[in-house]
Amino acid sequence: MENVIEVRNLVHYFGKKSVLKGLHFEVEKGETFGFLGPSGSGKTTTIKILTSQLIGSKGEIRIFGQPQADLKRIGILTDNSGLYDRLTVYDNLVLFCDLYGTDRARISDVLDEVNLAAEGKTVVKKLSKGMKQRVTLARAILHKPDLLFLDEPTSALDPVNRTRIHTILRRLNAEGTTIFLTTHDMQEAEELCHRVAFLNAGEIKAMNSPQALRLHYSDESISLHLKENKTVVVERNEAGAAQIQDYIANGELLAIHSNEPTLGDIFMQLTGRDLV
Amino acid sequence: MNGSMKRVGAIFVKDWKDLKRNSYVLFTVFMPVVFAAILGRMGVENPGMHMFPVNMALVMCAAFVQASMIAEEKEKNTLRGLMLSPASTLDIFIGKSVLTGAVTIVVIILSIWLSEVQLTGIAPLSIAILLSLIAYISIGTIIGLLSRNVMETGIVGMPVLVVFLGSSFIMQIVENEFIKKVLSYLPNEQLSSMAVQLHGGAAFGEVASHLAVIAVWAVASIALTVVMYKKSAADK
Ligand SMILES: Nc1ncnc2c1ncn2[C@@H]1O[C@H](COP(=O)(O)OP(=O)(O)OP(=O)(O)O)[C@@H](O)[C@H]1O
Ligand SMILES: [Mg+2]
Repeated sequence: MENVIEVRNLVHYFGKKSVLKGLHFEVEKGETFGFLGPSGSGKTTTIKILTSQLIGSKGEIRIFGQPQADLKRIGILTDNSGLYDRLTVYDNLVLFCDLYGTDRARISDVLDEVNLAAEGKTVVKKLSKGMKQRVTLARAILHKPDLLFLDEPTSALDPVNRTRIHTILRRLNAEGTTIFLTTHDMQEAEELCHRVAFLNAGEIKAMNSPQALRLHYSDESISLHLKENKTVVVERNEAGAAQIQDYIANGELLAIHSNEPTLGDIFMQLTGRDLV
Repeated sequence: MNGSMKRVGAIFVKDWKDLKRNSYVLFTVFMPVVFAAILGRMGVENPGMHMFPVNMALVMCAAFVQASMIAEEKEKNTLRGLMLSPASTLDIFIGKSVLTGAVTIVVIILSIWLSEVQLTGIAPLSIAILLSLIAYISIGTIIGLLSRNVMETGIVGMPVLVVFLGSSFIMQIVENEFIKKVLSYLPNEQLSSMAVQLHGGAAFGEVASHLAVIAVWAVASIALTVVMYKKSAADK
């Protein structure tokens, strides 16, 4: 498989403060890759380096095999929207069409994609936060980038708008866009990402698919919900199976749950801290 | 049209649409016009005052409109979006400068017309005004680069406002000959002296030294803008 992003031993300092401590990962073509970490762990710094807004102190990066990202092939969405709020949605997109040399006919397609077809003539100032975020997303995908960087695309959005953006991102990914996304929302990572990396204080603590991580860090226990609101935990082995049979025979068993950890639990287990 | 021209055009059009809805900038643009109209009603006798409406247009429009456009891109986080697009820094600054220049020229023409001053030597004065325009747009760019938001352009630009608009009054107050001499080399003073001499019947050759001084201002302020930009880019 072709690697769209390759990062080798990336180190970054702000002054004397070490912010990235030797990152090593790659993102394959067609993947949605999640960078999961608490505030201050270095997610935005990594995106800035990958998009040439910042030069890393040490190490090597490759975007489409080049040391610098080709700006025409990437799209970027950050949380601080950066839209011209006195201009209409349409005029904001016209600017970027012209800067990228994209046909303006694409604007209505993109507005359709983000469910804002009716808002083209609205001045950005008058839009809700979720709408603005979708305009920013529309702007980021206007020139059909092969690689999309999303820095906390749904932070500070309500569940409805969050789901909307997730739907759009899944569709873009299905159409072939590689996505690199940062979040401290484990559910978001679980829903969207083929693979996630856990970032803590500038170090990758684990990296794999969410399923593989859950399996690997599962403590192999099973919870049994019994009558009279009782819960017991049994192990996933012969002894456990025998216990379960007993509870069934006694007619006490109501439900069985396998205790798979959430990504948040695993993060806690690995770093001793919460994701938020 | 090649790619860069197209991007400059895109920035110009965007800033024009934005400017029309920007009440702060519109106020700044109309102030010199209103002032010129008042001056026209009062009647301007002293030829030393002939260029005052033009200077006001240059400072208020060329310098402050340019500065606030740049500072606002920083304040609202829109500059980053532009920098991440194929637009180069030069595309962005040229697009803005062309718009600022066009708006200022319109304001200058309106101001001269409304102030009802009778100018002599339109050709040399036009060259001097165009050179001054380049200098003031560059100074505006520097103020914009130094300010983090639109509010700060007022603070950072205050010395420019005081010196470049008030130099004639300062020269009347201070006794020190050296300070007077230094102030007389300001572009606005050069422009004003030039208008006085032309009014008194001076030929083109006699005012060439003023043109040269203003040209030096234009070149020096462009050079300073480049240095300032390189420095602010390296800080990031
Ligand atoms: N320009 C800067 N100068 C100095 N330190 C910085 C700068 N930008 C970020 N940092 C520091 O680098 C560390 C990583 O910051 P970064 O913005 O990458 O974190 P993040 O994971 O994106 O956090 P969040 O979830 O809050 O966005 C933080 O400790 C931050 O204080
Ligand atoms: Mg961040």
